[in-house]
Amino acid sequence: MSGILAQFDSLGATRKAIESLRQAGHSDMEVFAPFPTPELEEALGIISSPIRRWALIGGITGFMTAVALTGLTALAYPLVTQGKPILSWPAYFIIIFEMTILFTGLFGFLGVLYHMKKPGRLSPQYRTSFSVDRFGVYVLAAAGAEQSSIETLVRDAGAVEVELGV
Amino acid sequence: MATAEIDVPKQGLPSLADANRDISRPISTPYKRYWLLLGICAALIAAAGVAWTIQIRDGMGRAGMNNPVNWGVYIVTFVFWVGIAHSGTLISAVLYLVRSGWRTTINRTAEAMTIFAVMTAGLFPLIHLGRVWYFYYLVPYPSTRLLWPNFRSPLVWDMFAIGTYFTISLVFWYLGLIPDLAVLRDRFTGIKKKLYGAFSLGWQGTVKDWSHYRRLYLYLAGIATPLVLSVHSVVSWDFAMGVVPGWHSTIFAPYFVAGAIFSGVAMVMTITIPLRWAFGLDRYITEYHFDNMAKLLLFTSLIVGYAYGMEYFLAWFSSDPIEMESFRWRASGFYAGPFWIMVFCNVVVPASLWFKRTRNSIKALFVISVFVNIGMWYERFVIIVTSLAHEFDPSAWQVYTPSLVEMTIMVGSFAWFFFWFLLFAKTLPVISIAEVKEHLAHEHEHGGH
Repeated sequence: MSGILAQFDSLGATRKAIESLRQAGHSDMEVFAPFPTPELEEALGIISSPIRRWALIGGITGFMTAVALTGLTALAYPLVTQGKPILSWPAYFIIIFEMTILFTGLFGFLGVLYHMKKPGRLSPQYRTSFSVDRFGVYVLAAAGAEQSSIETLVRDAGAVEVELGV
Repeated sequence: MATAEIDVPKQGLPSLADANRDISRPISTPYKRYWLLLGICAALIAAAGVAWTIQIRDGMGRAGMNNPVNWGVYIVTFVFWVGIAHSGTLISAVLYLVRSGWRTTINRTAEAMTIFAVMTAGLFPLIHLGRVWYFYYLVPYPSTRLLWPNFRSPLVWDMFAIGTYFTISLVFWYLGLIPDLAVLRDRFTGIKKKLYGAFSLGWQGTVKDWSHYRRLYLYLAGIATPLVLSVHSVVSWDFAMGVVPGWHSTIFAPYFVAGAIFSGVAMVMTITIPLRWAFGLDRYITEYHFDNMAKLLLFTSLIVGYAYGMEYFLAWFSSDPIEMESFRWRASGFYAGPFWIMVFCNVVVPASLWFKRTRNSIKALFVISVFVNIGMWYERFVIIVTSLAHEFDPSAWQVYTPSLVEMTIMVGSFAWFFFWFLLFAKTLPVISIAEVKEHLAHEHEHGGH
């Protein structure tokens, strides 16, 4: 099955096209944008990102790792230094804090790569104008009547360029 | 390449395609002066390398440090560069969280500065260590001697704090760069296209990708904010945890953090003013941005000035004769010169920023920012050296003057920092293209109404 790729030159027109496509029952589409667009995320119904789970798991992992690292190494060689208890949690807290943050950030980054499926190749629908100022909306559709009905839809919304059978 | 404009652009406001072109122009334009500057930096780094080699060959006697003053220029410069690193995260993370629009055009530069400043700072504990090959003692690894680092030690905290800070700053910076690297990939051909393509990881800007990107960006800003506050607090505890008079104070953490932001903002100005001029980025980094940076500089200068005064108040209020003597000597003893340079550069000079005329003069801001950089180096010198030189026992008092080896390495650290910065400015977009576009697109839409 091929698809149809429409290019837009404004955020408003792209949003309009997404909304009318969704109304017409085409909810599976890929939208390209040259900059972050909360408006289009909303139009596409993207509410939350799974990154928050990655970050949380990372944070917990970092916390536990640091608790284990500081606590267990102190117990492995229980030598009283500076008259302080073997398990000096207030001092260890700094290590725990830093490692919690470190793992949160790293896990979050891995999560982003995982969900973007990156590093990877560019999809055949990508156009270099998407990194300049164009928005792209790609919808899978059977050639013929379905594609031409979508074409009318996106042209009405203000598409400046439409490619069929991509 | 398609270059359709979004609506009709407002007078003077760049189009999105302009942003791509203007911001990536320095990358493809050769500048003779650029290579000259890079050469000067390389020569100074080489000189510092020779100085370090001499120190390693002959021993730490080559540094001017002596028995009471065993933390000298190396530690001063270390704290200085860690401080410089701070405003990068402040501008990119804190101002992102509070939605201050003016960060947009300076955040990339400030973040790059953070990374290079941490890279510079990180060298100094190694240089100070003397026998640098024993560095791995700080790393927690299962050794055959069953010994682990002492996690109660502020120096180990320091390693964790700065290591985390470097890594998180790098991730933050790189994440922001990915969409811009894709812009460069699409603009260039041949080997450049391949390289930028590889580093952009195949970014194509789907809205789904942007949503992951935005979410992580927010989280990184959220965790970088407490992180940045923790890093200079930990550095201040390197001192405050000791019982040395002049160091053992609870105000050290906020005092150091304010000082770090102060010096960092000054360094952002020292760098962006020539950069804007050299690359013709006046349309993106405007007087408005500098006015805001100047206000931040003034505000942190007031905090720093307050801390200087408060240190004296606390010394007096403690009724501790040793503490009082330490502070009396600081302002009137052997190091009175550095002390008053510090006060002049950090409190008196920035006070001129109360006037709008000063804040609107780019030249004046450049001069002030250089004064602040100098003043903040002296601040660290004053705190570290005067306290150690004049501790409890008069028979153990001794002054310290930096040796040629130390000063060469210190100067070399500036060259090292600028060397990396120059490489960055010529190979990567110094302004976040995606964020500028986001901003411009909204301006254009509102202009059209």
